[in-house]
Amino acid sequence: MNLTYFRRGLVLLLLVFGIALPGWAGEPTDEIKQTTDKILSILTNPSLKGSSKTAEREKLIRQAIDERFDWEEMARRSLARYWDQRTDEEKKEFVRLYSDLLERTYMDKVEGYSGEKVTYEGESVDNGYAVVRVKIVTKKNTDIRVHYRLKRIENKWLVYDVSIEGVSLVNNYRTQFNSIILKSSYENLVKRLRERVEPE
Amino acid sequence: MRKFDLELTVGLFIIAGLICLGYLSVKLGKLEIVGERGYEVYALFSNSGGLKIGAPVVIAGVDVGRVKNISLDHYQARVVLNLPWSVKIQEDAIASVKTKGLVGEKYIEISPGGSENNIQPGARIRETQSPVDLEELISKFVFGKI
Repeated sequence: MNLTYFRRGLVLLLLVFGIALPGWAGEPTDEIKQTTDKILSILTNPSLKGSSKTAEREKLIRQAIDERFDWEEMARRSLARYWDQRTDEEKKEFVRLYSDLLERTYMDKVEGYSGEKVTYEGESVDNGYAVVRVKIVTKKNTDIRVHYRLKRIENKWLVYDVSIEGVSLVNNYRTQFNSIILKSSYENLVKRLRERVEPE
Repeated sequence: MRKFDLELTVGLFIIAGLICLGYLSVKLGKLEIVGERGYEVYALFSNSGGLKIGAPVVIAGVDVGRVKNISLDHYQARVVLNLPWSVKIQEDAIASVKTKGLVGEKYIEISPGGSENNIQPGARIRETQSPVDLEELISKFVFGKI
């Protein structure tokens, strides 16, 4: 009689811990996989092919990326020392411009997908931060290493940096933003971003 | 008398030489002593790229510290940096291994972040970038472009 209750209690305990324990092996990788698979399915969806469907396709891709990328964290890290000095409205505007800039810059590359293979090489998790290592095999048989850096926010893993062949995206923009702000001003940086993002 | 003069001169030269050597040692030694002050942080790199102990730590092109120690930690390079107390590193700062020129010596460059929290003495710089292997990169993208 006692043993049964004990066993039940143990099973319940294991279940509770199983659900409550964050970052079990594979979780950040799974979330990256989810988003990647979502985007790949949009790109290979026959009903979304063709230039007439481009706007719709890109909107769906942007939505899938919005779910996984923490734009505010990325913008903050890229603006680095100059983030604190910004007002709340300026911060909001900057995050919007930054995410639109990245969309404009990289959407073509995403759309240029032509059957490349994506393999998941492993992950490392450490105290709410994770790195997911991915390999993309191009048609010319070259390997491209992509590392996603994620942070656990509430119960999701969100990306705050991507490094391609060891070069960090955040670092790249951080250096450029810093240089522009030092040479001219934050306002000038915003003007340049606006020109890139809203060419009309 | 002349032999004594010769020996005296030689002796004086040797003493002068030793004094110069001693002065040089103290001067250089002083640099090392300055390196002992300040605090230490460490960073993990998948590849240290031939970074040497004593290599400079640079922020905005300015030498601010030294690489104190490099060791293997779970098959990653654990690089310990010595920084002066006046230089604070934010939590989202990025430490990269860079090369002086294209094929010069390796050094650590720290790009300051925007976090309000600073990395405490003995703590880790989380964001790191191992050296980019230029040759590998070029071959990947040059040969891919045919």
